[in-house]
Amino acid sequence: MKLFEFQGKGIFRRYGIRVPDSQLVTDRNEKVTLSAPAVLKSQVLTGGRGKAGGIIVCSNNEEIASGLDDLFTKEINGEPVSAVLVEDAADIENEFYLAITLDGGNGTPILIASAAGGVDIETVAKETPDKIVTTPFNILTGPSDYQVRLVARAIDYPDARELTALVKQMFTAFTESDATLVEINPLAQTPEGLVALDAKVLLDDNAAFRQRDFFQELLSEQNRLLNASETMEREDTITFVDLEGDVGMISDGAGTGMLTLDLIRDAGGEAATFCEMGGITSPQVIYDAIRKVMERTPPVKSLLIVLIGGFNRMDEMAEGIIKYREEHGIDVPLVVRMCGTLEEVGKEMMTEAGLPTYDSLLESVDQAVALAKGDC
Amino acid sequence: MVVLVNRDTNVLVQGITGRSGALQTKVMIDYGTNVVAGVTPGKGGMEVEGVPVYDFIVDAMEHHDIDAAISFVPAPFAKDASIEAIDSGIKLLVLTTEEIPDQDVLAIIAHARAAGTTVLGPGTPGLFAPGKCKLGAHPSRMFQEGRVGIVSKSGALSYEVGKAMTEAGIGQSAVVGLGGGPIWGISQTEVLRLFENDPETDAIVLLGEIGGSMEEEAASFIADNISKPVVAIIVGRAAPEGKSLGHAGAIIEGDRGTAQAKIAALEEAGAYIARTPYEIADIIEEIRGDS
Repeated sequence: MKLFEFQGKGIFRRYGIRVPDSQLVTDRNEKVTLSAPAVLKSQVLTGGRGKAGGIIVCSNNEEIASGLDDLFTKEINGEPVSAVLVEDAADIENEFYLAITLDGGNGTPILIASAAGGVDIETVAKETPDKIVTTPFNILTGPSDYQVRLVARAIDYPDARELTALVKQMFTAFTESDATLVEINPLAQTPEGLVALDAKVLLDDNAAFRQRDFFQELLSEQNRLLNASETMEREDTITFVDLEGDVGMISDGAGTGMLTLDLIRDAGGEAATFCEMGGITSPQVIYDAIRKVMERTPPVKSLLIVLIGGFNRMDEMAEGIIKYREEHGIDVPLVVRMCGTLEEVGKEMMTEAGLPTYDSLLESVDQAVALAKGDC
Repeated sequence: MVVLVNRDTNVLVQGITGRSGALQTKVMIDYGTNVVAGVTPGKGGMEVEGVPVYDFIVDAMEHHDIDAAISFVPAPFAKDASIEAIDSGIKLLVLTTEEIPDQDVLAIIAHARAAGTTVLGPGTPGLFAPGKCKLGAHPSRMFQEGRVGIVSKSGALSYEVGKAMTEAGIGQSAVVGLGGGPIWGISQTEVLRLFENDPETDAIVLLGEIGGSMEEEAASFIADNISKPVVAIIVGRAAPEGKSLGHAGAIIEGDRGTAQAKIAALEEAGAYIARTPYEIADIIEEIRGDS
């Protein structure tokens, strides 16, 4: 889950990370109690809001009023502004970048720091990679003091003790919130010390089972602002991506799903869907997957189901396919490639239901592409 | 020991009484894997497929020698179970569980590194050395004993490639599933090194996909460290930009993570590039013909 800036700053405050005084305005008519100089920051989940005009610096109170008028009628990269954070302007001497996230390839958390704060870190990484200091650390011990002292030296920040305290607060926030990213950009050096001028926090959806109340509160807050009704419960493990073509594609693995997209294109067709069920499925999962593909508009012209189960059981796949067809019918040509765990049982069930299965992936792809074109 | 396992590897199954754990235990035993014990807290004294179940690994270790553990423990309990396996001195842990919180995965990996335990996964189908040891969910009929190593993030894709190779009469020394990410215990490069050093492996098949930079890292590792022929496929050539395709990292962002970039890097490193599983088999046959 991606948090709004003000939600991230709420977490920062709880862990003692200094943020500017602020007021969240969710209605244009709300009275603003902060006075200029101030910064108006549209609260949107999309990136690049500064470039899109979503941040306004105000030197007097009239500018606050006109700025709010402007932001509340604006869309930032297509996202309407439903809240604005009005913040005291900080007395900035210098801007840094600081983040804790994870490096999946190395299997460790990392501390990322840069003296080039306040700009897009991806751009810094591309153009001047030597300005970014990446420090892997042990999740069980947390970042060690010497590591932060090395970082302070590398980014030329004079008060290593202050930076160490901040990194510890960030790490505690990172672990206790089950975050996958805690990012401060810019981190301002001010006469009062380091201040987090922005907050980007991503939370790990897989940790929802143990962060229920905390995550729910944040999500409800987002739903109220966005007029949405997102829930924490994932409906299923299905990944569904709408594509441009007309062959509906369902697979029981991400890798084979991607391979099948490639083979469909090689055969002169285009997939209409990438619908991947995850490695561990059930009759209900494939039933739901077929429903998603069949309900897609415009309708698919053929349905290709590619199964090569390991954990996934072919008896259960056959059960789900047959049940969907009995209840809803499948009014386009259906091509099922079935092999893997308990394939004899699954194939027999399919045959009894009058549904042929294929063993060869290439043949099934060719067939589905030809049928979508009406060639056979 | 060849690539992590051999014919004598004694296996403990964590979460053996669960639906997936029990089924896969049966399939592993049917194949001939030495499954000597299982653990499910509170189920000690039961048997699953003739395998004794214990409450704790320490209890199992009083009665059995254990070389490797395979875990089917649900995500909320996977960290605790993994720490138990590592603390018990088990040197190879195959973690099949998906959707474990990221920070739990990091903690498992950190603890395992300190203890010298190799973690395969999470979210892996496991490790299969045809004819020797099946420590995972691979459908065994799609594979046969041989001398080509396969390393893959995706489980199902490795079955697909195994099937194509086996139908062409090309067997495998070991098939290693890394897991779909976004965090990996053992890395692709570590597995490449294992195959390079394995006297029973003649060639390596690398199954990659769009997104991330693991394939580019593998390419530079191959250029510097691998003398055996490498045949690679990158799936997701037809993938749209900006959509995550099932694996956490399988996303093209701008010009980053594209199949073209990965294919170019691997070609540059001297790898043979295949477009389909069947081409992999063809290329291996050509390589064999040449040598």
